[in-house]
Amino acid sequence: MNFFMLVVKQLSKIYPSAKRWAYRFHGGVFPRYNKSLSASQPIRPQLIPEKLILPLQQQVGLPACPIVQVGDKVKKNQLLAKPSKDPQKALSVPIHAPTSGTIIAIEEATLAHPSGLEGVCIILQPDGANQAIENALEVDGSLPKTPVELKSVLLKSGIVGMGGAGFPTYAKLPNERGRIHTLLINGAECEPFITCDDLLMQTQAEAIIKGALLTAEALGAERIICGIETNKPAAIQAMKKAAASTSVEIKEVATVYPMGGQKQLTLELTGIETPHDSHAVDIGLLMMNVATLTAIYRAVSLGDPLTSRLVTVSGLGLEKPFNMDVMIGTPFNSLAQAAKPKVKLDYPLVMGGPMMGFQVKSNEVPVLKTTNCVLANPPEPVDMQMPCIRCGECMDVCPVNLLPQQMYWYSQAHEFDKVEKLQVFDCIECGCCSYVCPSHIPLVQYYRHAKSEIKAIHAEEKAVELAKQRHEFKLARIEREKQEREARLKAKKEAVKQAAAKTEDSSEKTPAKKAAGAAAAARAAAAKRAMQKGNKPSSGSDKAMPSARLKAIEAAKKAAQNSELEAGSTASMKSSTGDAKSKARQAAQKAAQKRAQKVKAQSEPANKDAKTNLKSESSSPTKEPSAEAISLDLTQTSEATTASKKEAARKAAMQAARAAAKKRKVSSSDHQVSSDKPSGERSDNQTHQQDENSDKRQKAMEAARKRAKQRQAEKNQAADNQENT
Amino acid sequence: MIEAILIFLALAVLFGLLLGYASIRFKVEGNPEAEQIDKILPQTQCGQCGYPGCKPYAEAVANREADINQCIPGGNEVMIKISEITGLEPKAMDEAAAEPKEKEVAFINEDLCIGCVLCIKECPVDAILGATKMMHTVIEKECTGCELCVPVCPVDCIDMIPPKVTPNDWKWPEPNFLNEDDR
Repeated sequence: MNFFMLVVKQLSKIYPSAKRWAYRFHGGVFPRYNKSLSASQPIRPQLIPEKLILPLQQQVGLPACPIVQVGDKVKKNQLLAKPSKDPQKALSVPIHAPTSGTIIAIEEATLAHPSGLEGVCIILQPDGANQAIENALEVDGSLPKTPVELKSVLLKSGIVGMGGAGFPTYAKLPNERGRIHTLLINGAECEPFITCDDLLMQTQAEAIIKGALLTAEALGAERIICGIETNKPAAIQAMKKAAASTSVEIKEVATVYPMGGQKQLTLELTGIETPHDSHAVDIGLLMMNVATLTAIYRAVSLGDPLTSRLVTVSGLGLEKPFNMDVMIGTPFNSLAQAAKPKVKLDYPLVMGGPMMGFQVKSNEVPVLKTTNCVLANPPEPVDMQMPCIRCGECMDVCPVNLLPQQMYWYSQAHEFDKVEKLQVFDCIECGCCSYVCPSHIPLVQYYRHAKSEIKAIHAEEKAVELAKQRHEFKLARIEREKQEREARLKAKKEAVKQAAAKTEDSSEKTPAKKAAGAAAAARAAAAKRAMQKGNKPSSGSDKAMPSARLKAIEAAKKAAQNSELEAGSTASMKSSTGDAKSKARQAAQKAAQKRAQKVKAQSEPANKDAKTNLKSESSSPTKEPSAEAISLDLTQTSEATTASKKEAARKAAMQAARAAAKKRKVSSSDHQVSSDKPSGERSDNQTHQQDENSDKRQKAMEAARKRAKQRQAEKNQAADNQENT
Repeated sequence: MIEAILIFLALAVLFGLLLGYASIRFKVEGNPEAEQIDKILPQTQCGQCGYPGCKPYAEAVANREADINQCIPGGNEVMIKISEITGLEPKAMDEAAAEPKEKEVAFINEDLCIGCVLCIKECPVDAILGATKMMHTVIEKECTGCELCVPVCPVDCIDMIPPKVTPNDWKWPEPNFLNEDDR
């Protein structure tokens, strides 16, 4: 193997691509590393800045929810913001105070994000005392036995993946023990300039190994493999020493960019290529950065939350680059100033390395949990972008085997569906293609743009689908409400009619006193029928629905019996009438409501038939008394027959009811919300009838005289119906 | 000669039967064109096309009752897609609608809202929350930006504003070709 390496090294002088034989994944580039700038310096003591800026959202997912207020004094490791919502469902991690001090503001500040947008941050003014809460996470020092135990500690400690992606670590772990068979440790820090992981491995190898062991123990992983690039000999030595008596394997991997990429290092260490639409966890692998493992060790054994991290402050524009255990929230500028910039820092600093990092909008942005490097490279003249010459260099260096020039071509033409088909979402944005492009095309920028456009398109599609669903639901709801309203109206009609029938029945016993009421009820029923008639004039189809008719009659009889009992038992006649009436009405209403659905389903004429028959059935025995009542009320009538009188009254009531119905329709369409409507409308209806009774009656008499013969005919028909039933 | 005629006759009958059977067996229910058009419409349900929602418009276009250039929120893009589906000639949009507008969502000035519920009734996607004499508010992510609620407000407290960009939905800008001033 070493001989092979030697050959490769010699051969690469005349054939540079020979270097690629030394590792397993495709492509990769060999930039100038510039790591000695900061790697040669010892780790500097922690710097306490004037203020710490702690963004509530430092990772993918949802922002945390602050639990402190402006003016609060806090100690180091104190919880400042708790995860919002259920952290098992939505990714969210807590934030702890990196040092003791006072909360001076909770306000919007520029985020260390390529967008340069502002986000809500907790501003902490350190008091310099650095008073800490020991064991803030309240751990008892025992090692977690199951992934769930480990996850709860990780969630409380606010640990996120510290290699750069910033995915909350607790969310990365599976819940079941044994799903992970191999734990991979990422010590391949491949970006130029960055040396924080290198120095971490040199100085805290023990902690890394312990963190890895306890994680593997909790997850039930059998193997632990650590990959370190060959350009970190000191780190390899330290790690090998720390891992000597443990099961951790230390593997040297070739120095190539992007060896530190998760999928690349996985392939290099295990020979397994992660399938395009699955995560490493799905194939039993879990990779963690050395810094993450240190944080896990500190959280589990010491109870320290994640409040600081090793950060490289480097760049060609700094005189004294260094590494430092930096508090989360330290502004970039104060770090850069501590490294003695060669010229005034009037250019934007870069978060991350030169390949994947981005320029920050303001140099006052804070260090995040994912910040591994603050880079100060003075601006260089940018090479002019030239048209693509289709040389294919980018394709040769792409570590994920994509077709960069095709993707570029389509993104430029805004044919995003085609870009997506070329698997742009597998692009790790490593920047190799841009690095080698002879036309200096910022390829990665095109892919990032395409990715965000595609995401927006998908979001839009979802929104459109949602809007459609909601619109259709609204239409359905309106339709349903309409039907319900109709059903209610119908039920109410039934109820009134039933009440009328009952009152007439009960009025047999107390004809004189109940006559007026019965007449009114009869009129109401007539009105109902008339309304129906007005809607659909078809009186011929009487025998159409005998079953409905029978049921209606039966219900009416039952209700009538009830009311009879009531009437009989009550002493005072007046009150008994009222009681019987109301009780009967209630019973009738219930029956009607029960029947309402059936009625709804049945056709309009059938409905009407039922009513007509019910009417005639129930009214026929009470013909005499009700007629008497009317004659009592209207003393001037002598020539008209009792039946025609009744018919006339009905006609009049019908008109009144029509008016009332119209009114009600208007009002019901105005107030759609009325669960109490039936009762309200019932009383409404009755008052209407009573109000209009007197003049309606007079009108009715006239009408009756005019149409006496007509009525007679109708009466005959009604009698026929009765016989039929 | 006779054989040939017979053979071809037999073939004709056979294929005729086949086709007849297929037309019954694989009959397409409804109008698939309307479905297709409905799919590409922006579903704002704004009614600017003169139809009470996107689906009625899609059906009208499919039945050749409506022009293909009536969808204002969709703009030229949707018009061209409809013309591709229907095979009709692309028709110019009104100049105001030719360029698709930036997405906006309704925002209720909660200090001014009198709780009249007029906007709630108007909203095609039930994105407005509120009750009588109570302050209303818009669920931003449900709002389609149809602007139907704006004219009905008696106190003009509804504004259309572009939704706020967060780091989560921020888009990387497109690099300009052959530019130097970008950095």
